[in-house]
Amino acid sequence: MFWKFVLRAVQFRKRRLALAFAALAVSATLATALFSVYSDIERKMRVQFRGFGANIVIAPSGGAQTVPLAAVALAEKQGAVAAPFIYTVGRVESEPIVVAGTDFRRAGPLTNYWRVDGARAAALGECLVGNNVAAHFRLKLAQKLELEGAPCTIRGIVSSGGAEDAQVIVPFDIAAQLAGLPRGDNAAASLVQVRADGERLASVQAALARQLPGADVRLLHAVAETEANVVLKIRSTLFLLTVLILAITTLCVSSNFSALVLERSKEIGILKAIGAAEKKIAALFLSESLILGIASSAAGYGAGLLVAWWIGRQIFPESAAAGVGVNYGVFLPVTGVTLAMAAVATLAAAARIWRIRPAVILRGE
Amino acid sequence: MFFRFVSQSIRRSPRRKTMTVAAVAMGTAVATAMLGVMLDIGDRVNRELRSLGANLMVTPKARSLPVEIGGISYRPVSTQDYIPEDQIQKIKSTFWQLNITGFAPSLKASASLDGRNVPVEGVWFLRRFRGADGSLLEAGLRTVNGEWKVDGRWIDDRDRNDTAPFEAMLGGAVARRIGAKPGDTLQLFGQPFTVAGIVSTGGEEEDRIFVRLEVLQRLVNRPGQVDAVQVGALTKPEDEFARKDPTKMTPKEYDRWYCTPYISSIAHQIEEVLPMAVARPIWRVADNEGKVLGKIRGLMLLITLAALASAGLTVWSVMATTVLERRGEIAIMQATGAGNGLVAALFSTEVALEGAAGGLIGSWVGLLMAGWVGRAVFQTSLETPAMLGPVVVGAAVLASIAGAAQPLRRALMLEPAVTLRGGE
Repeated sequence: MFWKFVLRAVQFRKRRLALAFAALAVSATLATALFSVYSDIERKMRVQFRGFGANIVIAPSGGAQTVPLAAVALAEKQGAVAAPFIYTVGRVESEPIVVAGTDFRRAGPLTNYWRVDGARAAALGECLVGNNVAAHFRLKLAQKLELEGAPCTIRGIVSSGGAEDAQVIVPFDIAAQLAGLPRGDNAAASLVQVRADGERLASVQAALARQLPGADVRLLHAVAETEANVVLKIRSTLFLLTVLILAITTLCVSSNFSALVLERSKEIGILKAIGAAEKKIAALFLSESLILGIASSAAGYGAGLLVAWWIGRQIFPESAAAGVGVNYGVFLPVTGVTLAMAAVATLAAAARIWRIRPAVILRGE
Repeated sequence: MFFRFVSQSIRRSPRRKTMTVAAVAMGTAVATAMLGVMLDIGDRVNRELRSLGANLMVTPKARSLPVEIGGISYRPVSTQDYIPEDQIQKIKSTFWQLNITGFAPSLKASASLDGRNVPVEGVWFLRRFRGADGSLLEAGLRTVNGEWKVDGRWIDDRDRNDTAPFEAMLGGAVARRIGAKPGDTLQLFGQPFTVAGIVSTGGEEEDRIFVRLEVLQRLVNRPGQVDAVQVGALTKPEDEFARKDPTKMTPKEYDRWYCTPYISSIAHQIEEVLPMAVARPIWRVADNEGKVLGKIRGLMLLITLAALASAGLTVWSVMATTVLERRGEIAIMQATGAGNGLVAALFSTEVALEGAAGGLIGSWVGLLMAGWVGRAVFQTSLETPAMLGPVVVGAAVLASIAGAAQPLRRALMLEPAVTLRGGE
């Protein structure tokens, strides 16, 4: 009997309920989408900062001119990306020129910002040249560069706006040989660049400093701090907006539920007139509200995930592989809040049930 | 008569009207807050990103390739290649001067310290000068590099002073190597220098010594000369258009490019005022800055769109509900001889009034919230365009009318008799 009542009430006011349902579902959609985006924005923004290259530099300290090449392996053991660099002066057409050597495979992720015409890596007998070098010696791709001691074929022309523009970049071993640096167990580099994840930066730096007492393990403050700062600010902006919007939609939801009860004073009057207990009427309304709440938050949750997924795919396509940016965990909070508000708002409005006097209401006053 | 109808209707059921207005206000508040934050967040983040350091490097048009490792030059610099110090203030007189947040000239040399060659840079730390329009401007390392950690104090070179005491700031690695502390004295170029402070950046600055520009110019006998100028500029992320070659643009495209703060157009304008120099974007900073900014802008835009859509739907559904509830009223009006046009006008006026009231309250609350988010996160109020409020109120009114239109038309098409009998 009770459920028949509830069911009929829903059937009878289909259009009114459809509208209430739409309003609630929209709120739940927005809440789910915002929560979803917020919950993994930090990870996604940190990925964006990888492009800035190294955030730790291992440089020689004291009287040393080089750092042990073993530093690269140590950094990689910490889960960081690391690449060795050697800088030396070579000669082209008897003019001095800076020759940089690196392990192209390892340096790749650290040098994303290079704008390269041609290939980004060079094998033995090949090299990349900076755009100033290319302009100075009038060099083109695939030409031979007469680098004394290690002639090479130009595979790419690099512009970075930095030191690379005036350098010839060769494979690590070639540069080591040109610089006369030891190989094998005592192999050394001029510099090792390391990129550690922003969250683990301090611990990676501390561990490397401990393992390499003879070197200077430095945090690149500008990169590290800007990353931390921007990520934090974006995160807190999203957090505050999410909270504000949740607060507003909650208010909206609760007023909607109150309205659903208030506009039915007449019905309450009739129910009371034919002898229904106030408690029973309140339970009737409450279960109606809860059904509406569950249905709308489920629908809103689905739609919200879709919106979050869509936003994630539009803005962060490259991290789509690591999950489409959908957080399934937000279902409980969103539904919980919606249902709690439905219950509170309905009950608050239901207080009127006790005060309604059927005779007055039904007379139309 | 018309207005009495409307005002009567509003006065008659104040509670229902309040709820409608409140719902519209909530939707509008969400929309305004999101828009307010979205419109300004790009600029805020752009400023935060400036702490990465310079994104443009200005160097003399060189006849020879620089041969430099770790700041030490392996070939005597040709003294013909330099930027005159008295010209560099012109950087602040370009079209995009307001986007240039700082610039720092430097002169490079090297000195022997403890038997090792150490690069020494003559720089402006924080120099004040008068701009072309007479305003007081600042330039120097501290305007480009934001927050370097300094143990000790910065050298104060507010005004040019050729008789200033010999002071130096050491990079952290140099200081560690020779065991220097602030207040110590060391010999550079045969002169005693007092260590004012020690800078730690983690970057190549750690291996440098910084002194006043005019001091180094005198010691290496290159008066009025500068080797490089770092420039920090707020830029618009590069898009397809920015990658076009300016020399191949049509005049119209060229104007558009010139008047957009792309890094390339700012560099171009610096080269215009400093014909002896080339300005190059430092892609490590410029490119990634653009990418991060683009992501943030795009993200906020989509979230705002989602919020706007839901706010619009909320307002629409609230208004549809109010009309739906009042079908009886419409039927009575029709039965007593009111034309469809009149009923529609009455209801639209009412709905528009409610929409405007809700929109006003909502946009006010929304602006407050956006301001609050700005202060909480960025420590400054966000700059929201003055048009935002009126536009949002207008949108709220439109959404209200749009929401009311469909149910109103349906109600008007029904026979009053049917509605009044209580049927569908």
